[in-house]
Amino acid sequence: MKKIINLDINGQSQEVAVGPHHTLLQVLRDELGLLGTKKGCDTGGCGCCTVLVDGKAMYSCMIFAMAAQGKKITTVEGLTENATLDPVQQAFIETGAVQCGYCTCGMIMTAKAYLSSNSSHVPSDLEARQAIAGNLCRCTGYQKIVDAIRLAAGRRIVASSEKG
Amino acid sequence: MPSAIGKEFLQPDSGQEVVELLVKYGDRALVVGGGTFLHGLVARGVLREMDVLIDLQNAGLSYVKQERDALAIGATTTFAELAAAERVQNKPELGSVLDALRYPPAQIRNMATVGGCVATAMPLFDLPVAFMALDSSVRAVGPKGAREIGLHKFYLDYFEHVLERTELLTEILVPRQPSRSASAFLKLETNANDLALLNVGVRVTLDEKGTCRDARVVVGGGIGKVPVRAVSCEDVLKGQRPTLALLKESGNVVSFDIHPVSDFRTSAKYRSTVAKVFVRRTLLRAFGRLGVHLDGQS
Repeated sequence: MKKIINLDINGQSQEVAVGPHHTLLQVLRDELGLLGTKKGCDTGGCGCCTVLVDGKAMYSCMIFAMAAQGKKITTVEGLTENATLDPVQQAFIETGAVQCGYCTCGMIMTAKAYLSSNSSHVPSDLEARQAIAGNLCRCTGYQKIVDAIRLAAGRRIVASSEKG
Repeated sequence: MPSAIGKEFLQPDSGQEVVELLVKYGDRALVVGGGTFLHGLVARGVLREMDVLIDLQNAGLSYVKQERDALAIGATTTFAELAAAERVQNKPELGSVLDALRYPPAQIRNMATVGGCVATAMPLFDLPVAFMALDSSVRAVGPKGAREIGLHKFYLDYFEHVLERTELLTEILVPRQPSRSASAFLKLETNANDLALLNVGVRVTLDEKGTCRDARVVVGGGIGKVPVRAVSCEDVLKGQRPTLALLKESGNVVSFDIHPVSDFRTSAKYRSTVAKVFVRRTLLRAFGRLGVHLDGQS
């Protein structure tokens, strides 16, 4: 049975009609047309549906839409502010961390959550790889994604030290 | 997700209310914690139709509390919340739990709940093995009240445990461990988001002279229908001074206690071989946490 619920998505309240079995991923893509969040395995194994829920990286294919009420959901569309890319997005572009692009939005969201809660140092290669362990990429071999995460982390530290 | 599951989605405010719903809906209801395993089961057509989904997130069961004799972990505490809880930090005796929580990727750690992991009764899961090494119990509430059940008596088979349909697992109880104890956990997996090919949890206790006073060795992950306590491995250790040779001997007798299966992920023979090595390595890690560093690491 469908119910009308409100979801807080990228800072906006969205009214959607959902059934008990609908996932957040289905609502984002099929109801709201937010196609940045990708559907891959649909069983929590590939990571390309990763979104932030109250700032934490989660698989949107595993969250019941009804259970997402009252939480702040951020998708890749919500990272851009005033037409300026998020530093993580920018770093992905500059390092060429994208090939087919299917995993990219999930990777960026996972990297964003990781860097938000580990802001004091530039992660080692190993730490960056562990941070994205829940996201699969079949093209890049991961190295450029790791480079992007480290680049974004480094810039963030420089920026915060300049602010003093 | 296929629409076969869930005509109603309920979010009760307490464990007691969950029990009332379970009484009302019986077999037609399914309790959902983090939901991280559920979706895979539905996608594979393993889970039969469920009319009512009972979401536990508002039931007030996310906490880590110190009781007089045990650490009580609320069922909906996520892996990430437990790993960050102050009460589990810098405690060698709880090492097995923290070790097990490090394996899943961030997304799963943020979603999966401790109670869901234990109550699913999936013998390839990690946390149950880590908790069993610490002689943990579960607390459940039902129409007749609350009861506690030791984890070693909790599991019956794949996806089957001793709780009634109307009972809800509310807490995991990790008893106060003997002094001079440390525990550890190791898992063999094929990638970062994999079920265990094999996993081992151990707890060791030394006496004042550095002799191994007590030991628990638990093996899971494709070695039977439920995680198994490897008493043969424990007996080798008890009353002995830990040496590398002793740990190797302990690992080598694990075959007496486990019955590995062959599946599409690996063979029974491989699991048997690896079990010996993993028991030894997990023991090394646990003894290391007690300051006993044995030379010639495996």
